[in-house]
Amino acid sequence: MKVATAISILLIFNLAAILLSLGVGSSGYDHIFKIISGNADDSVRTIVFEFRLPAMLLAMIVGASLSASGCAMQALFRNPLAEPYILGVASGASVGAALAVSLKIGEIYSRIAFAFFFALFTAYLVYLIGTSSRFRDQTYAILLAGVAIASFFSGVTSILIYFSSQSMHEVVFWIMGSFSNPAWEKVYISLPIAIAGIAYLLITSWNLNALLLGDEHAIAVGLNVESYRKSLIAVVALLTSATVAVSGVIGFVGIIVPHTMRLLVGEEHQKLLPSTILLSTAFMPLIGLISRISTSGNLPVGAITAMLGGPFFLYLLLRRSV
Amino acid sequence: MKLKVENIIVKIGSRDVLKNVTFEVKEGELIALLGPNGSGKSTMLRTIFGVLRPVKGVVMLDGREIESVEAAAKSFGYLPQDTPLTNLRVLDVVLLGRTPYMSGLRRPDREDYRVARKALKEVGLKDFETRSLSELSGGERQKVMLARVFAQQPKIMLLDEPTAHLDISAQIEIMEIIRRKVDEGKAAIVAIHDINLASSFATQILMIKDGKIAYAGKAEEVITEENIKDVFGADVSVRRYGRGVYVVPKLKPTGGKKRVHVICGGGSGQKILYTLAEAGFRVSAGVLNALDSDWEVATELGEVVDEAPFSQIGNSAHEKNLEMVEESDAVILANLSVGWGNFRNLLAAKRAAELGKLIVIDETPFSQRNFAGEEAEEIYREALKRAAVVTKTEEEVINAIRKLLGR
Repeated sequence: MKVATAISILLIFNLAAILLSLGVGSSGYDHIFKIISGNADDSVRTIVFEFRLPAMLLAMIVGASLSASGCAMQALFRNPLAEPYILGVASGASVGAALAVSLKIGEIYSRIAFAFFFALFTAYLVYLIGTSSRFRDQTYAILLAGVAIASFFSGVTSILIYFSSQSMHEVVFWIMGSFSNPAWEKVYISLPIAIAGIAYLLITSWNLNALLLGDEHAIAVGLNVESYRKSLIAVVALLTSATVAVSGVIGFVGIIVPHTMRLLVGEEHQKLLPSTILLSTAFMPLIGLISRISTSGNLPVGAITAMLGGPFFLYLLLRRSV
Repeated sequence: MKLKVENIIVKIGSRDVLKNVTFEVKEGELIALLGPNGSGKSTMLRTIFGVLRPVKGVVMLDGREIESVEAAAKSFGYLPQDTPLTNLRVLDVVLLGRTPYMSGLRRPDREDYRVARKALKEVGLKDFETRSLSELSGGERQKVMLARVFAQQPKIMLLDEPTAHLDISAQIEIMEIIRRKVDEGKAAIVAIHDINLASSFATQILMIKDGKIAYAGKAEEVITEENIKDVFGADVSVRRYGRGVYVVPKLKPTGGKKRVHVICGGGSGQKILYTLAEAGFRVSAGVLNALDSDWEVATELGEVVDEAPFSQIGNSAHEKNLEMVEESDAVILANLSVGWGNFRNLLAAKRAAELGKLIVIDETPFSQRNFAGEEAEEIYREALKRAAVVTKTEEEVINAIRKLLGR
């Protein structure tokens, strides 16, 4: 597919997603038109500007961060199943959030802070173990260290949840991921990190192509693989920690979106990365919308993406071109 | 342009992988690194490129050490051993070779595209631009990687087993592409396992053993049975042809200490003698006139009873021949022509037949190769009748011996 065509389709897709997520809800489907035509009363304004707009922006930020990170991780690990949470940030953030709640400092911002710093710490730990000099293939060691630490921390989270049964359903719900309880503060926290991180990935996207050839070949074309890998992991850790802290664990976005675009525009990251980001900024708000209108409450977003992710994996598997 | 590798020692872990290696490369040279697995060939290439740092010694290009990876990527075209598998398009892969020349955002410009396309043309994959690397054959993929190296416009190519896992035609094509590039004023250092390929393409061969250069020089000087035995620990025969050499494996002996005597002459015994020697039999031949073509082969491979050139078999030679017949486990009467000069060889064959150990190779009807009259005809008929085994071709000789020796 021509890049220009792909981008215009994606932009239209984005516009539709914006209109739908701002306009449609259980309280009606015409809010956006009321606002545009100037007929909106205060309650409509509040619904749109205090709830739907931040929720939509949050979904876009989370989608873009996770899918761009996923894209980068798949190149770094040369593994189509690599995802942003491979560094253990999801389990780290869960421990942080659960800890904040069980220490009775479960007020929303301290929970975000706990989740964020625990996520970062976990990623750092994984990196440290993975790059210890005893491993020959450090990329592979990072992958395995991530799996090991994630499994340990999810055990810790389960125990924390078990011992404080009362307050914990909130944490459980948080772990499943959602854009409900949107707040502008969450946008303010995550937006700068997302912009800086995604900009870094876009600027260095050429290097991601080089990584696809393998470390030796990347070095052979003059890339300082060691230092690039370091900064790539740091940036991805920041991006995913920030998103997981504000929205909980939303899985599979980092796999579904990059792979869909890979099928359409190919592997080359100058095209793949921007189009992945554009698809996710449309895709994620729509998932948020489904979560919002499908029942009277809010379905966990993570659950919806997971249910989409399973069949998508099977599709990739059957296509055999992963 | 001159690359100097001076006295380098490279450690990996606590092991010295390269020990005091020194050599030089100039433009127009294609250097083959030959050596067994783990001898340090890859380490040598990686050290020259700068992935590994020597603990002692220097690598200098035109009198200067190269500091950064990026500078190295402009001077050296390093091709690692394993070929990547990715869905990147061929042109995008080749463009990656332009990375060291791109600044800032690293977006390829018109010049980069021009150089990349030229490189693809040089490896003969002009029309492959938009194909995905993963759908190409092994040989094509390796050519794309070579194009990536060419796109870097290096002075020296460092190629780590560029022909590994490829079929013979791809191997030759790849080596020819490399040589063509070298002839344009570049140089190449190629780690390679195929001694024959190395000796036909390299201008110089470095044989590496345990991290040291064991032998260096032109193929015909360096590729010898002793050197290969020393470096690789393999038993081979080295044959010469034209300007090159080639290497064939010596078959593992299967004949034990069994001894086979071949009665031949005029070229009828050459192939039999080689086959027997390679199968591990101790061979002898006789009676042969000195300088006969069989005589040359037989003297190389074993004992020979000989007679002066163009003379009739004398008494002492005949006696000795009979002794050989007695001592051998099997005697082969080759498809030789008989005249008055070597008539006595038939008598020796008859003796072998009486002893029950004669194998006759009866390929051409005897009447067509008999120049010694009725008497010879009769002895031959007799020998044929009493022979232990009669075969129609030389190829069956090993089987015939096994049959005779009851194995």
